[in-house]
Amino acid sequence: MIELRNVSLRYGAREILKNVSLTIEDKKVKAILGPSGVGKSTIIKLMLGLIKPTSGQVLVDDVDITHFSEVELFPIRQKMGIVFQGNALFDSMTITENMSFFLRENLNLPENEIVARVQEQMKFAGLEGFENNLPDSLSGGMRKRVAIGRALIFHPSMILFDEPTAGLDPVSSKKILDLIKRLQSEIGLGAVIVTHILSDVFAVADSVAVLYQGGIIFNDVPQKLYDSTHSFITSFLSNPED
Amino acid sequence: MWKLAQAYSASFEEKLKGITFSMQDFLFFSLRAFRAIGASKRYWRDVLDQAYICGTESLPILLVSALSIGSLIVIEVGHQLAEFGAKTMTGRSVALSVVREISPLVAGLMLAARIGARNSSELGAMQISEQIDALRAFGTDPIAKLVVPRLVASFLMFIPLIALCDLVGLISGAYLAEWDLHLDRGIYWNSVIDILRPMDWLVGFSKPPVFAIGISLISCYTGFSTTGGTAGVGKSTIKGIVYSSAFVLVMNFYLSKVILDLMRG
Repeated sequence: MIELRNVSLRYGAREILKNVSLTIEDKKVKAILGPSGVGKSTIIKLMLGLIKPTSGQVLVDDVDITHFSEVELFPIRQKMGIVFQGNALFDSMTITENMSFFLRENLNLPENEIVARVQEQMKFAGLEGFENNLPDSLSGGMRKRVAIGRALIFHPSMILFDEPTAGLDPVSSKKILDLIKRLQSEIGLGAVIVTHILSDVFAVADSVAVLYQGGIIFNDVPQKLYDSTHSFITSFLSNPED
Repeated sequence: MWKLAQAYSASFEEKLKGITFSMQDFLFFSLRAFRAIGASKRYWRDVLDQAYICGTESLPILLVSALSIGSLIVIEVGHQLAEFGAKTMTGRSVALSVVREISPLVAGLMLAARIGARNSSELGAMQISEQIDALRAFGTDPIAKLVVPRLVASFLMFIPLIALCDLVGLISGAYLAEWDLHLDRGIYWNSVIDILRPMDWLVGFSKPPVFAIGISLISCYTGFSTTGGTAGVGKSTIKGIVYSSAFVLVMNFYLSKVILDLMRG
């Protein structure tokens, strides 16, 4: 379980997040919805300890990680995989190397175990046959699947997605959303999905938090969005592509 | 008028704060790099890759620069000396200028441009594409993986590179002195060997390690602090080259001044 307690974040005079409190249950898919540039990606970076809040606490499985060092954060980060918006794959490495790199770096596993884990993720992500391709030679949807495979390589219990379908065509988007649903149904993984696309929320999320002007203005099941009277939500629902 | 002055004062204060913050951040970044230096054993393949890039790939431009250094000194100084009937002293002038000052300085500037641009742009691109965040998120220290190999490789390669520049500079001087001043090569080399003392080599070779550390840390830091998309990578690259070159120019003067003052008592 991941919990943000009264988290605020400032960059100079600019206040990005104001007293944000949020809980992400195990084995549930939570969407964080909001317009671009509102600080949604910042929330998942806070969850991983990649950035520190100005005030408030970040808890993972009831452990306060707010002031953890990089070394202390490593076992925490192993519990969470992340899929970055631009995938953040290493251009000079093949797909197999991208997936195995962090296993070789951080776990003292025998070679056959590393190969088995990579093959397992290649199969899950439907990437068999592309083992020796470089990321640049793949389509956007396939690169996203590689990033998902890499995020699963440590067998995490939670996976964080930053705009998983942004920039993808409808067919690739559907494949990625199906993959996210399978993560929950087949492996029992929880997920946090940061998105500005309303249809993604209804497709995969168990609950949704709406972030607007640095604060959470809605936190409930997606269907209840239609009951909200908040002007931003009603406007967002009527113009979901904005 | 008063409001304008206040606005300027506030803007100046903000800029000063920004510079102070960046200096502090750079200091912490450098300390982290030195603390992670042991990681060079783990990433020895990366060290070799960087040494190849920094050493072998930089060689052609450095040799071209070194050729012009020796030749130019002969053209400028040799003819002046010839007017006073002292062209046999040409070797001495070339030797001292090349070994102590010009060769480390020109090579340092060339390496600042080449290595500085490469580090800043490559790491800047990794920063904006979130690859550096990915390293951290999956448990790898980006400073150990990306900065330490560059720092160690530069440290190892700068001394031989500058030694080679010294040699090529002196040889090019000898050929030009023979061709342009009709100075016998034996006389030239005798005066070169005669004038060079251990102190001169010490001044010359004290510079490459300092330049290597400064150029690597500055350019890696500008890469790591890139923001603002592809335009940001361009800005970081410029910063990497400009700050590294300024560092080389300033340190070249201070190292010469301090070491020569110390040696002269």
